[in-house]
Formats: sequence, structure tokens, C-alpha cells
Amino acid sequence: MRLRVYVAEAIRSSRANVAISVAATVTVLIAVLLLGAFIPTFLAVQSTIDDQKAKLDISVYIKDEATVQQVQGLQNNIVGLESEGLVREFSYVSKDDALAILREQLRDESVLDELASNPLPASFEVLPVDPADNAQIVGQLEGHPAVHEELGVEFEAETTNRFLDVVTIVRWVMLGLTLLLLVAAVLLIGNTIRLSIFARRREVEVMKLVGATNWFIRWPYVIEGVLCGLAGAVVAVVLLLALKLGVVDPLSDATDSGLSDDGTASISFFSLALILILAGAVVGAVGSGITLRRFLRV
Amino acid sequence: MVVFDEVRKIYGPDSVGIDRLSLNIEHGEFVFLVGPSGSGKSTFIRLLIKEIDPTEGTITVGGRNLNTMRRSKVPYLRRSIGCVFQDYKLLPGRSVYDNVAYALQVTGESPRGIKRKVPEILSLVGLSEKGGRMPTELSGGEQQRVSVARAFVNHPRLLIADEPTGNLDPETSIGIMQLLYRINRTGTTVIMATHDREMVDKMQMRVIALEDGRLVRDQRQARYARADEGPVGSSPAR
Repeated sequence: MRLRVYVAEAIRSSRANVAISVAATVTVLIAVLLLGAFIPTFLAVQSTIDDQKAKLDISVYIKDEATVQQVQGLQNNIVGLESEGLVREFSYVSKDDALAILREQLRDESVLDELASNPLPASFEVLPVDPADNAQIVGQLEGHPAVHEELGVEFEAETTNRFLDVVTIVRWVMLGLTLLLLVAAVLLIGNTIRLSIFARRREVEVMKLVGATNWFIRWPYVIEGVLCGLAGAVVAVVLLLALKLGVVDPLSDATDSGLSDDGTASISFFSLALILILAGAVVGAVGSGITLRRFLRV
Repeated sequence: MVVFDEVRKIYGPDSVGIDRLSLNIEHGEFVFLVGPSGSGKSTFIRLLIKEIDPTEGTITVGGRNLNTMRRSKVPYLRRSIGCVFQDYKLLPGRSVYDNVAYALQVTGESPRGIKRKVPEILSLVGLSEKGGRMPTELSGGEQQRVSVARAFVNHPRLLIADEPTGNLDPETSIGIMQLLYRINRTGTTVIMATHDREMVDKMQMRVIALEDGRLVRDQRQARYARADEGPVGSSPAR
């Protein structure tokens, strides 16, 4: 019974203060829009980093003339490094495997049919625990009799280091952006709520004089906050969907058509929308509920 | 109904609201609270509805000790006291009907009870036809009638009016006074703070006079000023 009174009050009140309701809704809309654009970006960057990190492996190329014993010995060395905790895992890639992998990576396989014989060497693909240890691993394996004289043990020291630097910078930038965004959203929402409560100071004062309990006064405002939060979040989600369908999806389709297929993980739009709408409602409710406290002490 | 026992309210080192005030207002009385601006009338009223707490002394309203009353119980105290103010304090953006209905909603009154009681009280204050109007569409006297209707719709045992005629012309004031008088006749205690000398003289009710927060006179069937002070600006033969 009470709930009906509260909801009716909330709707009445948001109608009576259209300008402020709109301001609150738009504020939530902007905050949610930023958040909604940011979360997938953050996830994509993180996933790209992980992806690239996994590619920072060491290729130990084996010369075609190496004997079985020599290859066995090389493998034992790598197993040794694994037990020292430097190597996470390794795998043997035969000449045929190497060709198959290349074939998979190329969209146009016909170029391979031109080859008379398989020019690719067999190799051990060694994945370090920490790419920063690559130099040490390379030092231990280089010069082994089974290792290919020209190709040797390959890892791109410069690329690895640069990549690790970039990762660090990207992490900090992301963290900074997140904080900045959060602060901006909180200030924006807090300001709007203060504005709306200020407009209602007199109303709240009168309600208290008539003998309304704090919660009787507060519930309609909380519900109103939820409604504004929900409205803002829903509009933001619709805008995000439009952005995704209109801009992001065509773009990522375009990049996917390159030579390789990358499997960057991303959050599904549905769960993202759900999180954002929920966040909007919570921000609206908590915001108006808390700010009202100051004015209830009459 | 209302008992003040040695009540003091000090706002600051040089600002005394009420000073050692003791008085007793019986159930069903009609009391005028008079005194110049800053004499403590408003402080008295704010203490009664526990908007502020006394610095010293005890206040009892309807048998309830306000000093020991918990904050959470204050809304229930206020529902048992009707309040009428000089500036009406109506909820803006709500119709006359909704303003009165709000006082009932607060108490958890059923929609059916609200539908029955609001028209009843609106007809009592003579605003039956104006339930759908907004406060801004009404004259000052009409707004004050709405305020009285809201204060009385719960049939409180105590009704407090703080300068209810302060913004109204004499003729309109008489209407409001008649309304308050009728409410008093139903057994409701009425305390009215006022500057309206003529009205007080005409009504011949109990007069409590304050000055600098102190009780200077408490007299039954009295006039605004003491008889020996002589009338100021109004004829004695009324």
C-alpha cells in the first residue's frame, strides 16, 4: 500500500521538477556512456596485452642435420630450465607442423604450393615464465650442437623490452583515466543531486513539520533517483548499442580481414548493458538517499 | 496539555531565546502568546514541536516529556500537533486537496479514509470548491485556510498558530480567527502567537506575554496590553 504512495509521490515529484530530473538523467547518461565506452576498451587492451605476451616466446631452431640424440640433449636442457622455474612450457614443432602453422596463418595458401620442398626448420617453442628472463634462457641454449647455425635461438630482445615498457605505460594511463572518469562522474552526479535537493529544501522542511518520518520523505526521492538513473542508463546503453553497431563493428570487421585472425576476448554487450543499467539505478538511489540526510535533520 | 518547567533556551552568549519560563496550559484552552519581536514567541513554538531542544528545564506536551523523547519519535509528536504559520508553509506544486491529503498520508491513512476526510475538512474551512487549485492560485486568506485545514485534518489535541493573520488584512483575519475559535470549541487546545492587538482585545482569552524571553504576564480573559498600561492605538470600549 505504502509502495504505491511512494511511487506516485516519486512520479509526481519528477514531473514537478522536470528541469532537475532531466539534468540528473543526463548526468547519469553521460557518466554511464563514458563508463560503457571505457570498459570494453580496457578489456580489449588488457586482452591484447595478454595475447602479445603469449607471443613473446623463444624459438630454438633446429638444424635439419641434427641427430636424434642431439635434439634429445637440447630438450633435456630446456626441461632443466623448466625445473629451474625459468620456462613455463615448451613444445616441439616439427618441420611439417611449422608448414601447417604457416598455412593456417595465410589466407591465401596457394603461395605455399609453389614451394618445391619444406624450407622451414623444426623448432622448440619455449615460453618463458617472465619475458624479462629471455636473455638468460637464450644464453643457456645458444651454441648447442643441435641448434641451427644461421637462425639460432631467436627472440627479439628489443621488441620484448619495448613491449614490456609499453605495457607498463598503458597500465598507468588506463588507471589514471579510470580514476579521472570516476571522479568526474561522482562530482557531476553529486552536484546535480545537491541542486535537486536544494530546490526541495523547503518542501522537506514542510513535510517534517507535518510529521512525516524520515523514510516517508526519503523513499519517494530514492525511487525518483532510481528512475532517473535507470532512464539515463537505458538511453546511454541504446547510444552505446548504436555506436557499436554503427562504428565499432564495421571497423573491427575491417581489421579482421587482414592476414591473421586475432582472438581478443571482450565482454558481451548484454552483460555490459546489464552492469551499466544496474550501476545507473544504484547511483541514483544511493545519491539521492545520502544527500537527503543533511536536510532531514530538522 | 503543555507544561513548561523552568525552561531556558540559550542560542549564544548574548542571545537568550527563553529565560526560566514556567507555565501550564490546560486541555481545551485558547491562549494568545503576545510580545514584541524577539521576545521569545517563536522560540516557544519551536520548542513545542521539538524543532529545537531547551538548554535547561523540562517541557511536557500531552503528557510526553520532550527532553527524553527520541529523535525517531518526533514525527509522531508532530502529528499530534497541528501547525499554522504566517507564511502558510504549503507544499508548492501540489493542489489544495493534495496538500491536505499529505498530512493524512504521512500517518498511513487509507486511500478511502483520505477520500472521506479531505472534502470534509475543506468544507469546514469553506474551500470545497477549490480542492483542485494550486496554492499560488489562491489569495492569502485562502492559503491560510488550507494551512488550517491541513493542521486540523488529523484532529490534533493541540493546534499552534504562529502569527496566522500576520500577512492578512483585518477582514480576512477575522475569518481565520473564527475558524480557530471553532476548532477550539471542538476541544482542541489552541496556542496562537500574535501581534494583532485588536484581535486579542476582541477575543478576551488567556494572554501570555513574553519580553526578552521572560514571562511578564499570564492573565485570563485578558487584553493585549495590561489595563493599567492603557490602550495604545485602540479604543478601550470594545
